Amino acid sequence: MHYPSWYVPLLTSPMLIAVIAILHVLVSHYAVGGGLFLAVETRYAYRTNNREYLAYLHDHAWFFILITVVYGAITGVGIWWTIGLASPLATEMLIHTFVFGWAMEYVFFVLEIVSAFIFFYYWGKLEPKTHQAIAWIYAFSAWMSLVLITGITAFMLNPGAWSENRNFWVGFFNPQFVPQVIARTGGALLLTSLYVYLHASLRVKGQALRDLIASRSTLPALIGAAAVTIGGIGWYVFLPESAKAALTVASSLNIFMTLIFALTIAVFVMLYLGPYRNPHWVSPGFALLLFGTGLMVFSAGEFVREAVRKPYIIYNVVYSNQILPEEVATLRQKGYLEGGTWTSAWVRTRYPNVVQSQQINEAQLLALPEPDQRELGKVLFQYHCSSCHATREGYSPVGQLVRGWTPEMIKALVENPEKFHFFMPPWAGTPEEAELLAKYLISIAPPRPGGMK
Amino acid sequence: MNPTELIGPPSPLGYPAPYWFLVTFKVLGFTLHMGPMHVWFAGILIAMIAARWGSPEAHRWSARLMRQMPVIIALGVNFGIVPLLFTQVAYYRVFYPATILMAWPWFSIIILLTFAYYGVYIYASGVKEGAALTPFKRAAGWVSAILFIAIGFLFSNGFSLMTNLSAWPTLWQSTSVAGAPLGTALNTSDPTLLPRWLMMFGLALTTVAAYTVFDAGVLARRQSAEYRAWAGNFALQLYTVGLIWFALMGAWYTFGTWPTEVRARLFASPWIILTALTALAPGVPWLLILFQRRQVTQTLAILTGLAQFGVLALNAISRQVVQNLELSKFLDVTAEPVNLQLSPLVVFLILFIAGLGVVAWMIMSIKPKTTMNSPKSHSGASRR
Repeated sequence: MHYPSWYVPLLTSPMLIAVIAILHVLVSHYAVGGGLFLAVETRYAYRTNNREYLAYLHDHAWFFILITVVYGAITGVGIWWTIGLASPLATEMLIHTFVFGWAMEYVFFVLEIVSAFIFFYYWGKLEPKTHQAIAWIYAFSAWMSLVLITGITAFMLNPGAWSENRNFWVGFFNPQFVPQVIARTGGALLLTSLYVYLHASLRVKGQALRDLIASRSTLPALIGAAAVTIGGIGWYVFLPESAKAALTVASSLNIFMTLIFALTIAVFVMLYLGPYRNPHWVSPGFALLLFGTGLMVFSAGEFVREAVRKPYIIYNVVYSNQILPEEVATLRQKGYLEGGTWTSAWVRTRYPNVVQSQQINEAQLLALPEPDQRELGKVLFQYHCSSCHATREGYSPVGQLVRGWTPEMIKALVENPEKFHFFMPPWAGTPEEAELLAKYLISIAPPRPGGMK
Repeated sequence: MNPTELIGPPSPLGYPAPYWFLVTFKVLGFTLHMGPMHVWFAGILIAMIAARWGSPEAHRWSARLMRQMPVIIALGVNFGIVPLLFTQVAYYRVFYPATILMAWPWFSIIILLTFAYYGVYIYASGVKEGAALTPFKRAAGWVSAILFIAIGFLFSNGFSLMTNLSAWPTLWQSTSVAGAPLGTALNTSDPTLLPRWLMMFGLALTTVAAYTVFDAGVLARRQSAEYRAWAGNFALQLYTVGLIWFALMGAWYTFGTWPTEVRARLFASPWIILTALTALAPGVPWLLILFQRRQVTQTLAILTGLAQFGVLALNAISRQVVQNLELSKFLDVTAEPVNLQLSPLVVFLILFIAGLGVVAWMIMSIKPKTTMNSPKSHSGASRR
């Protein structure tokens, strides 16, 4: 309401964040784990003077740069782009809290870029010791990026005591910080091994080298899987109560959690039977299956991580519909249309007759013709509800959700959404505005499906 | 409608550092970003033209530049994060609404950039000594050139709309559904848009020219003397064209589109000094390139690079002054309360200095071996 609400038909604008974020994490974790892989394996190859393995690592480094420096960096910036468009108030709060966290992360990002290019482009031109040092600079910088960004993203799920003192470090070292750093570090190791299996299976012809690569990447994968499990348990333990409840009650999250468990077990089994026990199994088909399964686990995990925060974007700080919790009482008194910067301007321009003494007269709203009341209800929907709901079709379409409901039921829902579903934000308007929104919802709700007994 | 009605309330958290600190990093970051950004903005197009219609030396220049382009883009994107970060801290009340009004074009930058960046890699992977490029790779280069110019146009839209609040009400009401923007607006009615974009292209031509001299004098020392002489002469011609273009578009922008009060302020004391320096500064690198038109020297090439950096810095400072003057009708960005985050700021500065030290060490560690000799250093890439 401080900012215009970007209307994305069918999908809803925050879903674009989810899409970009998922696309990004699939690469950003590889950017971290891959750095460690290249550092450790280059050291091993130099130490054993394994020229063939060094040649493979050079080849892998090129693939790594193409994926992480280009796609990873752009989608990382893409998340910035998208959160500013879809959740501007939450972004404003985050950036004013953690600008120096991001600035610190930026320093490590610069080190990543410079070291990655030197590592690859000066391959064979540096002393092995210097070359390895550059690889370790990359690996450490990339991991520090993970640590710094995790402090901020974990804050969104559980800010801990930050609300009491608004201290940077209290927010950064929040209850979710350690579990998520462990889980993400593990995820980076695990995912990297899956990238390595896939790349090696496609690029390496000799069976002996392929077996070496498969067997050397198995231990990091297993350590990573263990870290993901430990971090995941910590993540669950330190979830706010509402997030734990959301995991139980939301059917889509039930499905995703089941998928995560089932596919994680499948990855474990494939890792054990494949690269660990039978390295020669790592054919392109097997590696692709393992890689695809791993990506599904990660994607589902990220979706769940985003979804359990509801009704907040930042837990107890910003609601998913871009309202601060402390604003709700005022908005209930003076009206959402009046209190919102853009809604207020809209009403003043379109319906100047309801403005009296520089204020929107709430009683006058219900005296407007019915089409105008529905139109204002639609304005309320766009600003109060469209962050999570499409209209008639699309993502969680509210018209379908209230299909067949009576007007009284819809009115009751509008006035007390958080009581119907604890994962919805509270109503932040006057009773008159609730009436307007209810009229709009009634107008878009299809009738109860026919043919039912 | 009074556009100021569309500016939301200030953040309850306040600025995490004084305004001067935020704006210093914003301008510094933008200056650093502008260098590589100019090289891809105008450089790829010139490189494509040189590869298609140029002399053998022009082909060589084009190939050198395009082989370096992936690294240049990586650095430019990286440096661009700094001004974006500090813009969002200090200008959030106008930055977010402006970009939401043009959300889809703004969002499309990410997609266009991805294609443009990979296009450059595809082209660069095909550039080999004496070998012809495949039509696909050549097309990838042209597509990248066009996409980067289009991205520049979208950036000009976003940042001009950020200060053109007078256009917000009309754009909003004509492209929204029940008050919620569809995000399809563009700031094309703003008279400053085109000259800004074109002026930047002119300045980008001068940066490409300065970079050509820097490359010939510092990075391409293994190239033949003929090539380096050609590079100096070519850079002089390119810089001259860029300078004339920049002057013409700058005059259009300043005298044809600026509000009277902005022009009056920038042509009065004390800003007149900055305005004059910004206008005259490109003469310094031009003169340095003129001295190198027959033979590029390492010292003068480095000085040319530094002088061009100064030109970009002055341009960035002037842009910042104009941005604040344009906004001052609606919003005083310096007036927000400061809630200083001292310890995170200190940690950042320590890391920043330490990071620069590590970067310096890495660069020193590669220096004794060789300079960035692209044909050999990219051999791994070229094989693929």
